[in-house]
Amino acid sequence: MKRVVILGGGIGGTTVANRIRKALEGEVATGQVQIQLIDREGIHAYQPGYLMVVFEKMRPEETRRDEAQLLHKSIQLVKGEVEKVDSAANKVVVKGGKELPYDILVIASGSVIHPELTPGFVEGAHSFYDLANAQKLRAALHDFKGGKIVVSVAGMPYKCPVAPLEVTFMLDDFLRSQGIRDKSEIHYTYPIPKVFGIDTVAQPMQRLMGERGVTIHVPFNVDKIDPAAKTIKGVEGETIPYDLLIAIPPHRGADFVGTSGLGDKGNWIPTDRYLLRAEGKENIFVLGDATNIPISKAGSTADYEAEAVTHNVASMIRGEAPTTRYEGRVYCWIMTGLAQATYIKFDYLHPPHPPTPSFAHYWNKVIYNRTYWDLTARALF
Amino acid sequence: MSGSANAPTTSSAPPSRMVVDARGSWCPGPLMELVRVIKEEPVGTEFELLSNDEGSRKDVPMWLEKAGHQLVEVRSETGYDRYIVRKSHE
Repeated sequence: MKRVVILGGGIGGTTVANRIRKALEGEVATGQVQIQLIDREGIHAYQPGYLMVVFEKMRPEETRRDEAQLLHKSIQLVKGEVEKVDSAANKVVVKGGKELPYDILVIASGSVIHPELTPGFVEGAHSFYDLANAQKLRAALHDFKGGKIVVSVAGMPYKCPVAPLEVTFMLDDFLRSQGIRDKSEIHYTYPIPKVFGIDTVAQPMQRLMGERGVTIHVPFNVDKIDPAAKTIKGVEGETIPYDLLIAIPPHRGADFVGTSGLGDKGNWIPTDRYLLRAEGKENIFVLGDATNIPISKAGSTADYEAEAVTHNVASMIRGEAPTTRYEGRVYCWIMTGLAQATYIKFDYLHPPHPPTPSFAHYWNKVIYNRTYWDLTARALF
Repeated sequence: MSGSANAPTTSSAPPSRMVVDARGSWCPGPLMELVRVIKEEPVGTEFELLSNDEGSRKDVPMWLEKAGHQLVEVRSETGYDRYIVRKSHE
């Protein structure tokens, strides 16, 4: 019997587990292949939903499901925290001592937020990168009567690179809907000299910010937050006072990546950008946020990467060479208000050109939010 | 060879020279990758930033000037540019 072990029950791990099962249906059914997925809690979080929770477009419970309900019944779910990958011995050690040997390992352990890495963040900033904080921000906005709101990015890389844009535009719409936009200021900071990483996105987004009355501070790399004085200071020297601060926390890869000697300084795993194999490891694939590939850390990326990983794992199980390439495909919506959106679609060779924002694009995102569980997680289509 | 199509995305090369292959990095973008690695590495480290984003030709020198780091050289390769950058201070 050959063993495929998958680490992580997020978007990447869940969809790749179900796809590998489907690709190796006969082998799994006859017991020639065993698929195991290790997840800390056994709860699957739809993280793109957190921003929707802030603005009451989704309910908190709509962002979570039991992982066991999403995995095909022939996939074994192991609840536990990975302590270490012993790549020399081809085994995973789970905290508590359990060991899982593997023939092929797929790492989809995602990224972990570390607000404590920015001084003052925990005490002074709101965020929406976990459900509890998204709910706190929702309550804070409900109580907000006007004042100065600052949106900022406190570390790189961070998942969902368009999220700061989205929260800014949704905030503008929200404040208008509450009748307090004229009593409020929105300030947007970004670490480079424009509002997003490349011109084809930055230019239309900056234009939109101008139309919405958003004040832009770039480049602004966060040095520290002073919760008592309610200020955020950039390494460039600028200090901005705020009444309410919404910031993106610093991210790192999973701890076990570092302790297993698989990662770089941020615990991101050096990964072949095409075949998605961990560098120097013939039988370890990596997808989603866990890689060091410099493209969006986003669910869409993991979803597209899962296609290539599935083919390559199935090939290796059957004694063939893994040759399927991930070509850098990503598709992400960008919310440009409470009921309008645009999108970016790109691959390694073709940059995105977001279309004019519209209700139709927003509606497509709403539909995807509803169908995600079957379409992507269960990989039914 | 660091610029080959199948080169590692980010890899260390001796001594204190790091290749940052940001080709195809449309989101969040090559400059964001450069800002990230410059923060992480010690003063004196050299970086080879590979980018096929035309905007980098303007953004990278502009940011380096503002941030006070050194742009050592820009080389045009086939289909992309190679920016040699040195971290000058913390």
